[in-house]
Amino acid sequence: MNFSKLTEILPAGAVLLSEESRRVYECDALSAHRVMPGCVVLPDTVEQVQAILSYCHSHDIPVVARGAGTGLSGGAMPHEEGVLLILAKFNKIIEIDPEQRTARVQPGVRNLAISDAVKSHGLYYAPDPSSQIACTIGGNVAENSGGVHCLKYGLTVHNIMQLKLVTIEGELITVGSHAFDSAGYDLLALLTGSEGMLAVIVEVTVKLVPKPPFSRVLLAAFDDVEKAGNAVAGVIAEGIIPAGLEMMDKGGVRAVEDFVHAGYPTDAEAILLCELDGTQDEVETGLNAVEQLLTRFGATEVRVAQNDAESDLFWAGRKAAFPAAGRVAPDYYCMDGTIPRKHIAQVLSGINDLSKKYKLDVINVFHAGDGNLHPLILYDIAIPGELKRTEAFGSDILKLCIEMGGTITGEHGVGIEKINEMCIQFSDDELEQFHAVKAAFDKKGLLNPGKAVPTLNRCAEFGAMHVHAGKDKFPELERY
Amino acid sequence: MQEKIKIIQDQLANAIEQREPLKIVGGDSKAFLGRNSTGTSLEMSSYSGVISYEPTELYITARSGTTLSEINNTLTEHGQMLAFDPPQINASTTIGGVVATGLSGPRRPYTGSVRDYVLGIHCINGLGKELTFGGQVMKNVAGYDLSRLMTGAYGTLGVILDISLKVMPIPEFEMTCHQLLSAEKALAKMLELSTGNIPISASCYDGEALFIRLSGDEKVVKTSSEAIGMDVLEQAQLFWDELRDYKSSIFNSDNNVWRLSVPLTSVVAVADDSCLIDWGGGLYWLNSDRSAEEIFNMASVAGGSAMLFKGSDRQQEVFQPLTDGLLSLHKGLKNAFDPHGILNPGKMYATV
Repeated sequence: MNFSKLTEILPAGAVLLSEESRRVYECDALSAHRVMPGCVVLPDTVEQVQAILSYCHSHDIPVVARGAGTGLSGGAMPHEEGVLLILAKFNKIIEIDPEQRTARVQPGVRNLAISDAVKSHGLYYAPDPSSQIACTIGGNVAENSGGVHCLKYGLTVHNIMQLKLVTIEGELITVGSHAFDSAGYDLLALLTGSEGMLAVIVEVTVKLVPKPPFSRVLLAAFDDVEKAGNAVAGVIAEGIIPAGLEMMDKGGVRAVEDFVHAGYPTDAEAILLCELDGTQDEVETGLNAVEQLLTRFGATEVRVAQNDAESDLFWAGRKAAFPAAGRVAPDYYCMDGTIPRKHIAQVLSGINDLSKKYKLDVINVFHAGDGNLHPLILYDIAIPGELKRTEAFGSDILKLCIEMGGTITGEHGVGIEKINEMCIQFSDDELEQFHAVKAAFDKKGLLNPGKAVPTLNRCAEFGAMHVHAGKDKFPELERY
Repeated sequence: MQEKIKIIQDQLANAIEQREPLKIVGGDSKAFLGRNSTGTSLEMSSYSGVISYEPTELYITARSGTTLSEINNTLTEHGQMLAFDPPQINASTTIGGVVATGLSGPRRPYTGSVRDYVLGIHCINGLGKELTFGGQVMKNVAGYDLSRLMTGAYGTLGVILDISLKVMPIPEFEMTCHQLLSAEKALAKMLELSTGNIPISASCYDGEALFIRLSGDEKVVKTSSEAIGMDVLEQAQLFWDELRDYKSSIFNSDNNVWRLSVPLTSVVAVADDSCLIDWGGGLYWLNSDRSAEEIFNMASVAGGSAMLFKGSDRQQEVFQPLTDGLLSLHKGLKNAFDPHGILNPGKMYATV
């Protein structure tokens, strides 16, 4: 590949060709998958992005876009013969409109930086992936990122209004608008979660929501996982949509309690955390109702946080689940399936059976409100064969999610990690439809090749190749 | 119902062979929308029935020919609703038509649009292939989001068979306040109220008065209504139902009825046209005899888009014309789903 021409398009220092400078970029947060990018480019204007894509298009060079590289599914893993297009320099908030409650931002702006910038207007950006301190909004759009408040506030797709994107031909196109509806097909929805396969996003207009005046967390303990699962359904049946509804099993509670001392009851089989927000009256009435309801569903103990500090403490435990897993085992592998809530107990029991079968411990943390589970498989990469068993265990969990009417990924994306399981979730006809959609944007297949949607050949050979997990590349980031 | 699917597939195969487009018809209550289209009718209303509904999972799955009233009745029994407030044009309105047109009601700015609640779609593409995208769970990022893409695509990308939608609890309490105001003051008030923490679920200006609906906890709603300081409207349900179902007087005009979706703070050159403003200032309904070109231009200047909602000339474009780049993506997508161009061709745009 001839990348040196790119230095004519970009200023000095924005094209990395030497091996040592490219080495830093060889993986995203799924660090077991490493590929040296053919070349790394760091443009800082939309015109430069257009020129790069246009050049790559005419010379058949693959392009992988990347924001902060905090993705957990290997979606921004480089291509060895391609260009790794880093959008981190696009870190400006272009415009904040408090009346319209929107912010127009560049793709490299960090998720949390948006909320920080609009705080003085009493507003915030709702989706809150656990990596929000570091992950960029462009990456959030590419993955349709979620967080712990999705049930009430939605995913990225529900919280953006307009995208500016550059096609592989280098054309700048605006999709969506600052109005509620836009003309034509809902390309905004199609682009969200498309994992960098269709276009490169160069600007995002996000919706902002008013910060609720009051919020509180409640903690409930159960002596039986099934009771906890039923209680989750009970809350929903009561017509309550909590801001957050989280569940953790015994293994999780113990690991966390040893680590952060959040005061979790370590003899419980499962705990629930339920956050309500709104006006103070509304929240207090709601908490009262939830407390009674959980007791009726068999909670052995219900604790309502008495102040913001106690709410934060309850959350601190949940948010420490991943690092706590890292303390009890040398390595852990995080899964991301979603299931109908009613099957929570059954799936947990299935995961426990698999845990025995593969002789590997597992800690279960759930975004229970929306059925999104993050089992953390504990293993030690230094023990021969253990990583392989972990991968097989993980794959079986995803199959279980599909069997239960769920999906292989709720918020982390397919990337390279779950590409084989896509063959189970979708039929050949469905995969062909995906490829046809891809071709409508990128006929030559240059954008993020080999990710998100497997080829039919790959599915036919499924099993021959195995993917595996790795250590957390961003140990400083909270993951929950 | 497998036989019905087989019949649809046969009809599709026949259409491809004969090169004769199909016109997908559900309850036929929205036939006045979109461009004039020709073709053999593909009847969907007999493909009906709720397939599964689990109130605690917050979803309902129904066949596309299921009437909206059947779905609403089913949900109401369990204290739930479709939060995007779909228009019930008449008793035969189907859920398939609701999703295909993507039209949401007065609640939309505060609770979200049709596509925000679409979880999954089972459909047949233009090649006769039966496909399922998305599912019944709240979070699902496996594969491209083709079920949301098909929402509002006017049947040009596929024949929708089954739809899964997220459902929400019916608010505990609602009340509507109103006040006579100038358009300017009403718009300012709508903006001011929506940036606060008041539980608004609808706000519109009918040319004379501002109407604000509040929904939620009874105590909070009552306190908020006092804070707003407007008069309480009796018969509020009727008022909002008429607006939602296009029965208000603005829709009964000899002139064309235009629908303009614009940014909240934009200035729309309404001129002498009679006008109703919904969605807190984001949706303008106009009675106008101005040319399509003039209206499209006005919408574009305001940063939004227009649609000829009711009008005589449906040979021309009725939706805001797309930029060249967007149109080319639309053609590419149409070709990806329906390469023979047999599904509602020309219904949205002449060349899609």
